[in-house]
Amino acid sequence: MNRRRIVVTGIGVITPIGAGRELFWTNLLAGSCGIGPVRSFDTSAYKVHLGAEVQDFQPELYVSNLEVARLGRASQFAIAAARLALRDANVELASLDRKRVGVSMGTTSGEPREVERFDDLVVAGKLGQIGPEFLARYPSHLIAAHIAQEFQLTGVNTMIPTACAAGNYALAHAFDTLRAGRTDLMLAGGADAFSRITFTGFAQLGAIAPEICQPFDRCRKGMIPGEGAGVLVLESLDHAKRRGARIYGEVIGYGLSCDAHHMTAAHPYGEGAVRAMTQALEQSGIKPEDISYISAHGTGTPTNDRLETLAVKSVFKQAAYSIPISSIKSMLGHTMGAASAIEAAVCALAIHHNRIPPTINWETPDPDCDLDYVPNSARVHEVRIAMNNAYAFGGNNASLILKRCEVAN
Amino acid sequence: MRNGVVITGMGVVSSLGDSPTALHSSLCDSRNGIRPIQLFDPTGLACQLGAEVPAFDGQSYLSGKNLRPLNRTSRLVASAAKLALEDSGWSESLRSEEEVGLVLGTMFCSLQTISAFDRRALEAGPRFASPLDFSNTVINAAAGQTAILHNLRGINSTISAGVTSGLQAISYATDLIRTGRSRVLLAGGADELCFESFYGFERAGRLCRSNDTDGDFPIPFDARRNGMVLGEGAALLVLEDAAFARERGVEPIAEIVGHGSSFDFSQGRDEQLSAAAVGHSVQEALRDAHVLPHEIDCLSASANGSPAEDRHEAQGLVLGLNGQTHRLPVTAIKSMLGEALGAGAALQAVSMVETMHGGVLPGIRNLEEVETDFPFDLASRDNQEVDVRIGLINSVGFDGQCCSLVLAR
Repeated sequence: MNRRRIVVTGIGVITPIGAGRELFWTNLLAGSCGIGPVRSFDTSAYKVHLGAEVQDFQPELYVSNLEVARLGRASQFAIAAARLALRDANVELASLDRKRVGVSMGTTSGEPREVERFDDLVVAGKLGQIGPEFLARYPSHLIAAHIAQEFQLTGVNTMIPTACAAGNYALAHAFDTLRAGRTDLMLAGGADAFSRITFTGFAQLGAIAPEICQPFDRCRKGMIPGEGAGVLVLESLDHAKRRGARIYGEVIGYGLSCDAHHMTAAHPYGEGAVRAMTQALEQSGIKPEDISYISAHGTGTPTNDRLETLAVKSVFKQAAYSIPISSIKSMLGHTMGAASAIEAAVCALAIHHNRIPPTINWETPDPDCDLDYVPNSARVHEVRIAMNNAYAFGGNNASLILKRCEVAN
Repeated sequence: MRNGVVITGMGVVSSLGDSPTALHSSLCDSRNGIRPIQLFDPTGLACQLGAEVPAFDGQSYLSGKNLRPLNRTSRLVASAAKLALEDSGWSESLRSEEEVGLVLGTMFCSLQTISAFDRRALEAGPRFASPLDFSNTVINAAAGQTAILHNLRGINSTISAGVTSGLQAISYATDLIRTGRSRVLLAGGADELCFESFYGFERAGRLCRSNDTDGDFPIPFDARRNGMVLGEGAALLVLEDAAFARERGVEPIAEIVGHGSSFDFSQGRDEQLSAAAVGHSVQEALRDAHVLPHEIDCLSASANGSPAEDRHEAQGLVLGLNGQTHRLPVTAIKSMLGEALGAGAALQAVSMVETMHGGVLPGIRNLEEVETDFPFDLASRDNQEVDVRIGLINSVGFDGQCCSLVLAR
């Protein structure tokens, strides 16, 4: 069967360790950390104080057709990442049929700062000060809508708010949309803005680390909430070849599943995570030992990292011990709906450069986490096929597989 | 080759009844789901009408289940899911052997929950915010809670696209079945009526300015229309791979033969572009369905009484159907159900299936004079007898999303 092959040709990221593919990748391989004291609101009433915020973000650099003041922060990130991705892919939008260019984005909270402003006014007894801007800025679908408005795109426009795995869901949907021939090119990824609501929630779950994020380390104490956006340009291989595009890698399959077990806690044996990985491998037509790198969900909470390790071992068996697996959340914190989109970009870059970013802050081995987590230093390693894992509230599991694009000419 | 997709069951919880039959006969009796608001105190608001699901707490549908963790939206979804699963014969024991999934369209999930969580932290301090409530602040909370309650371990996804959410979710689910990724999916949409979202629409000037309890408003497509009324509810279809449904000996109630979508990036400022986007969405759906405009037997329109969007839809349908709208029987059920957001288009789908089986298309309540340049000779306040082999459902959002679905008997 002649199936359309779908490739990654552009990468745009706005992250706590830098904007744009090159700076981000350099900082990531250097083990830079984007975590620091929260600046966007006062945390003195909390027991924890660290976040991974995007510093000194200048939306005017990226937004040219819309009014910046009309956009929530996540939309600003998303447009910025989309512009960087289009630039990276060397796409001339004017030369494309805009009906055939679409957007597929994921998010956890949409534009939570708009609700926070709403709540501030309600609590202050100033309900009357809420105007039309609330509805014009808050709903989560605006993230995808704003990208399409900025770049004047009339193709498929989808917003998938499936929490912390949303980026992978959005990429998977873009992959299917392209395969079905509904579009020629997709801007796909995820975005989230640092939020008081999210910070409060994770603090109340006791999930936020007090000092550092150290995934898979025996002394790990939690995750660090973050923010950012990742957008990838996906297109069919034929389309990419016709315009002479650079190809970072090929998306070859994905798996999605639901634990149907608990809203915030993973299944005790990682049952759903195993199903997502297994389906992704089957649908990609590859064997577990073909995987040369796993980008972990790796939040740094005691339970996540233990169960993720367990799930990886039950899928990969003995091969698990020889596949490098790392968590960039040690450096970026957990950028929520953006996380798996940024991590998919990392998989594509790992394939392109044959380099694997490290899990930083790793010191003490944990008998429950006994795989090769690429501790503390980036590694030169031939990466032919990479698996990107993401898990979310609601028991959602998403695994995406990217491969070096081998083109028979 | 792609797999056929059939509807094998439906579940609804609406302001006009909790079964497809009850809903449809209410619509055909021209009953009004719109009443003075009871869920919160509307004093001081310009619009005080809403289409609430009366006396709903979910207990009667979900007895024996722990509903404490479920907010209103989650209960609406879980109830509709229960009804849809029963209607299609997917018993608990069958579900333990098959990965049934859920694709939910929702605009807000529960803005009330998100805002209440944040306000509690603001007023009492962050350490008093409830971790249980936090898990319900994510936009995929209702889909996750419903999966837990009904053991839905297949693909669990949430789509946000404003008014078009429900139709986008059905389209997304259709593609998952066509490509063989799923065999059985619940798909549709839901939203709750709550003060926070209501106030947003009120301040945006989108609600009709009449509080006439005789219910003269909203009036879709009428020259006198002046805004919409918010509604709520949940509607889910059971979608199955056609061959799989045949194997298990189930008689489908309808078939999904095509879908299409498009985006209007002009933000409603350019009438031509807005109409073109609606037209393109319809054309994409017809092309996907291999159906010609003259083969469409009736139309369920998105029109909810909004001055601009109703016009864009009317003009866009002329383009999408190649001018062949004058003799097309058309209905706009939001004249009775209000704009139920995520549930809105899914309710249209349920009603269309009932029209296919009963041969009656509900009239448009309150319609007196169709705006002069709207191309519908067969839009009427009276029911129409129709023989529907192929029905078109259309949905037009506030922020540029357009989506269309073609059903066949």
